[in-house]
Amino acid sequence: MKIEFDHIFKSFGKTEVLHDVSFSVQDGQILALLGENGAGKSTLMNILGGLFPPVSGQVVIDGQPVHLHSPNESIDHGIAFIHQELSPVNDLRVYENMFLGREERNAFGWLNRESMRAQARKILDSLGIAIDEQSYMRDLGASHKQIVEISRALLCEAKTIIMDEPTTSLAEHEIALLFELVRKLSSQGVNIIFISHKLNEVKTLCTHYVVLRNGWKVAEGDMKDVETQTLSELIVGRELAHMQKAEPKQHDKEILRVENLSRGKDFQNVTFTAKAGEILGFTGLLGDGRSELFRSIFGDTPDYTGEIFLNGEKYHAKSTTAARKKRIAYVPSNRKENAIIPDLSVKTNGTLATLKRYCKFFLLQNGPQHDDFATHAADFHIKYADENDLITTLSGGNQQKVILARWINTKPQVLILDNPTQGVDIGAKQEIYEIVKKIAQSGVAIIVLSGEGQEIVRLCERTLVMFHGKIAGELSGDALNEQEIMKLATGANLI
Amino acid sequence: MKFLKWFKTQWNTNPLFSTTLALLVMIILQTLALGTDYNSFGAWWTSFCVNWINVLRNNASVGIVSLGMAFIIISGGIDLAVGSTLAMTGALFLLLTDSSAAGWLTQMHITGWLAFIIAFVLVILFGALLGALNGVLVADGGIPPFIVTLGTMKVFRSVTQYFMQGKAPVFPQEFLAFTSLRFGRYMIMPIIYWILIAAFLYVISKKTVFGNHVIAVGSNEKAAKLTGINVKAVKRWVYTITGALVAMATIINISRIGSMDYANAGAGYEMDAIAAVIVGGTRMAGGRGSIIGTMLGVLIIGVMNNLLNLVGVNPFLCEAFKGFIVVVAVLIQKKEATS
Repeated sequence: MKIEFDHIFKSFGKTEVLHDVSFSVQDGQILALLGENGAGKSTLMNILGGLFPPVSGQVVIDGQPVHLHSPNESIDHGIAFIHQELSPVNDLRVYENMFLGREERNAFGWLNRESMRAQARKILDSLGIAIDEQSYMRDLGASHKQIVEISRALLCEAKTIIMDEPTTSLAEHEIALLFELVRKLSSQGVNIIFISHKLNEVKTLCTHYVVLRNGWKVAEGDMKDVETQTLSELIVGRELAHMQKAEPKQHDKEILRVENLSRGKDFQNVTFTAKAGEILGFTGLLGDGRSELFRSIFGDTPDYTGEIFLNGEKYHAKSTTAARKKRIAYVPSNRKENAIIPDLSVKTNGTLATLKRYCKFFLLQNGPQHDDFATHAADFHIKYADENDLITTLSGGNQQKVILARWINTKPQVLILDNPTQGVDIGAKQEIYEIVKKIAQSGVAIIVLSGEGQEIVRLCERTLVMFHGKIAGELSGDALNEQEIMKLATGANLI
Repeated sequence: MKFLKWFKTQWNTNPLFSTTLALLVMIILQTLALGTDYNSFGAWWTSFCVNWINVLRNNASVGIVSLGMAFIIISGGIDLAVGSTLAMTGALFLLLTDSSAAGWLTQMHITGWLAFIIAFVLVILFGALLGALNGVLVADGGIPPFIVTLGTMKVFRSVTQYFMQGKAPVFPQEFLAFTSLRFGRYMIMPIIYWILIAAFLYVISKKTVFGNHVIAVGSNEKAAKLTGINVKAVKRWVYTITGALVAMATIINISRIGSMDYANAGAGYEMDAIAAVIVGGTRMAGGRGSIIGTMLGVLIIGVMNNLLNLVGVNPFLCEAFKGFIVVVAVLIQKKEATS
């Protein structure tokens, strides 16, 4: 099977996310699709997966231009998409998950379990994987879930499988298992499009590569003709590869001290301090526990053990309300799910944490509320038509700034930013970095949680790297670079 | 053409537009149904006013309950127990005000309007307490509101009937004035209570921190919590407020007829209130809704009932129309949301 992308253009509103992208994959190649977050990889794969059509250009399969209008059409063409965050039905069995939505029925319309089970067994056997097709999905480990997902793709005779960062939640030996499987499929003529940020991984596994940057294809070729260093420069762009790092400064006043904080499987024995005016990074791979750690510190999950000190005084994070009153601010990840109130206006969203301040005899006074919001809107360059419009009318970057304004309004002493530039474009990203640096200068202790090594290197003076719920190490100065972060984040130093 | 354009934008952007339109249609039909068979304009006008005041008065108590229900539904919850709460608080009101020797306040030698005031305050507090019980179970117990209030609906009703076996409290005739005081020829007290409460709750919903927090909790509970909003307190309060409003409704009802049927009082109130809230454009899943819309919703259903009555539709069919209008209302709102 040969898939060609033929001059693909795609834009959302005014933002162009793909610009004239052309390349092809065929004959059991393992193609690495590389690029930063926001480079256009997901958009391109979603076009192939039938989620939305390109603005212009076309997808050509075996010489025939195809129009993919839905995921089902894409599956019918032999394309399977394995998403980064799997969504198995945990209460169903392995073979039931493999046949989900395509169940076989007998003449009476009843499920033909015997036949489904046999087919599932056959595929699992052909992969040489010891998974019982009768076990419940919830009892499987992360890598086995991934393998079931791949088996599901094979079941519909997929000739091209897209894998979106399949290794982020896998342990080392599980990754080896997955790679073995991928190579086997490739030898059987199945194309693999492999999306990953881990260049070492990509270098050993993939046969070809394509690099996207800001929606443009900047390079493609044979993997054996390229060095890892060259790839990383291609991904970030030459000018950014030698970008300016955050300058280390002297900070004396300790604001937050955390000692031996643990909460079940989420995180264990975490100890660190954050100082006034400092931008402290927290990074790691998916499942490292950093978000859970700060959810606890912010009082969302108060059933932790260990101690937290604020300005030297012991503080128990018993609720989010208590944390806010102690002037801890938390900008969560996944803005849409965790921060935006879609039924409230831009202004109310931006002042939601401080509404009490604008009250006189229990009644909200529009004047001071407007002033507070307008001040920050101007500071952060938030673009909006009317402050009384719903927040959902704004772009992602502007929504993020409104949430930032919501918390800066509380005049925090600790500001926790979880994935602060998730789903915002390059321009807005840059602006948010500037804002964060400015806030730090005013003496706030800032903690940035991010999975993007680059973001951490550009923004933070000091970084703690987490691995499986524990702090794997601390980096600062020259040691704070993406290679060192990756080493700690993958637990490579522990082996 | 210009009008069509204006109409279209209003229809698409103003959530109260279709509701107001529906009410206007109802009122026109109702006015037509009232007929023109009168000797003079004066006679027609009198009949018109009397009819309208009847409609408003008949719907005042369910209207007050609906206002509380609107808060609960906007916060993402639901309260099926309002009807039973009405019976239970009503029973307490009757026991307190009972002018026979068995009356609780009578035994303490408190009679007359002082007794009424004490009973009034205690019953409102009791209603708030019953509401708070729902609220605590929902907020702190983490049980879905549908289940909590389904349970308390049964408990409140059953306990009320058990306690009121063999009791026959006598409601002092003088207290009927609370509802039946006439202005000229019109009994408008319940309407006044209803409008005052609605105005008060309108201000709460639009101009207070609490009002905004209710929307935040209903719209995105997780985000509300992560903004440091005390989500549990918000939930406890909406049920508590509704409990107090239900107590107010029961006092109005009892002061109107002087007695109560413990098995049936308030039965169906929960569904009538939910219907009114939904017809008024409030989103069942929470986050969007309004007090004004709820008032319009109560009126639409009230005027429709009146209209059916005027044109002589079999009363057994009235509920069918009510059901029909709820479904149509949601259908229209869905169109608004997607366009």
